[in-house]
Amino acid sequence: MAMRAVHKRYLREFFPAMAGYVVILFASLFWLRTLDGTLARAAVTVLPAIPIAFVIRAMVRVIRDQDELERRIDLEAIAIAGGIGVFGFLTYGLLLNAKVLPDPTGAAVAIWVFPILMGLFGIAKCSMRWYYRSHE
Amino acid sequence: MNNRVRELRTALGWSQADLGERLDVSRQTVNAIETGKYDPSLPLAFKIAGVFSLSIESIFTPGA
Repeated sequence: MAMRAVHKRYLREFFPAMAGYVVILFASLFWLRTLDGTLARAAVTVLPAIPIAFVIRAMVRVIRDQDELERRIDLEAIAIAGGIGVFGFLTYGLLLNAKVLPDPTGAAVAIWVFPILMGLFGIAKCSMRWYYRSHE
Repeated sequence: MNNRVRELRTALGWSQADLGERLDVSRQTVNAIETGKYDPSLPLAFKIAGVFSLSIESIFTPGA
């Protein structure tokens, strides 16, 4: 089945942004080794966040421009992912607070928020699409 | 809500993809409407009625 124009545009925007993220991430990690000074390190460290802003822009644009059922599926999947993600992080926080689990670094927790939410979004979206596809 | 979209579409010999193209929605959306899994918005219902040159109430009826 042919891909609709709105999804082709999404892929055209998403993949270069993700590729840019990977390249800039490794470049910034390499660059950080040679840098001194808080301001310079802060500027180089946040560079990989710039292409992620373009990833988010691509996602917002596809959600706004796709058809109403596709939009509903995406928004419900985001709500489910957000709910499960918040529940998971809260539970994890409670376990950390009770010293049941070893303390991670703050950086590790913050960095994993986005991939975990995206992973949960993907799973929720697949489930929703399967639900609407069944009984064809 | 019940609807006659599948009946009307097949009577014209259109595939779900054909109807989706006319409505500017995905084939999956056409399928979800036909199977009653998804009730279209009022603007989309008007579009569907327009494609078949019928009134909304002759295509969509309240479900049991």
